[in-house]
Amino acid sequence: MSITGIGVVPPVGPIGPAGAAGGITGASRVASPQGGGFATSLAGAVDNLSAVQAKADDLAVQAATGTLTNAHDYLIAASEASLTTQMTVAVRNKAIEAFNEIMRMPL
Amino acid sequence: MGLFDVFSIAGSGTNLNRVWLDCVSDNIANINTVRSTSESAFQARYVVAQSADGFAAGDPKGVNVTGIALGNAEGRVVYEPDNPLADTDGYVRRPDIDLGDQMTQLIQAQRGYQANLAVVERATQAYQTALQIGRNA
Repeated sequence: MSITGIGVVPPVGPIGPAGAAGGITGASRVASPQGGGFATSLAGAVDNLSAVQAKADDLAVQAATGTLTNAHDYLIAASEASLTTQMTVAVRNKAIEAFNEIMRMPL
Repeated sequence: MGLFDVFSIAGSGTNLNRVWLDCVSDNIANINTVRSTSESAFQARYVVAQSADGFAAGDPKGVNVTGIALGNAEGRVVYEPDNPLADTDGYVRRPDIDLGDQMTQLIQAQRGYQANLAVVERATQAYQTALQIGRNA
C-alpha cells in the first residue's frame, strides 16, 4: 500500500464582499427600510394607542362630571381603547419573541 | 381608513338612534300640547339621517344626523269649547301626532340602538379572536 505524497495546499484567495454572490442582492434590498422599519411602526402603534386612551379618558371625565351627552360614546371608546391596548401588547410580545429567537441562534 | 373604524361607524349609528329616541319622546311628551288656532300646532319631530359618504371610495364612515325635520304645523283643529284656549268658534289646535305610529318608531329606534351596539360587541369579539392567533404557538 503506497501513500501518495501530500501536495501543497493552494493559498486561499481573499474573501470577496458578500454582495458579490448574486443571490443575496435581492435580500439586501428588502432589508433596508427607511429609518428602522419595525421600530417606527411600533412607535406609531404606541402613539395611536395613547391617542385612543386619551379619548377614552376624556369621555370618562365627562361621564364623571355629568357633561357626557352620549353614554354609548364612552363605552365604545373604552372598548376601542382596550382592544387597541391588547393589539399593541400582542405585537410587542411577538416582536420580543422574534428577537429572543434570533438571540438563541447558535453562532 | 383606520384599524378599528367599525367602532366609529357603529357609534354614529347608535348616536342616530339615540337622537331618534329623543325625537319620539319629545313627540309623545307633547302629544297633548294644545294651542289656540291663531298659532301653529306642536310639530312632530323627525330625525333626518344621511350616510356619511365615502362608501363609494371604499371608505365607510357611518351615518350623520343632518337635522330635525318638523311635521304638520296645521295640526288637527278640534272642537273644544270648554278649553280656555278655544277661539270664538270653540276650536283649538292639537298636534297631528299618532301615538300608535310613535310607539312603532320607538321600537324601531330601540332595536336600531341595540343592533348597533351588538355590532360593537361582535366586532370586539372578532378582533380578540384575531389577537389569539399564534398565542399558543
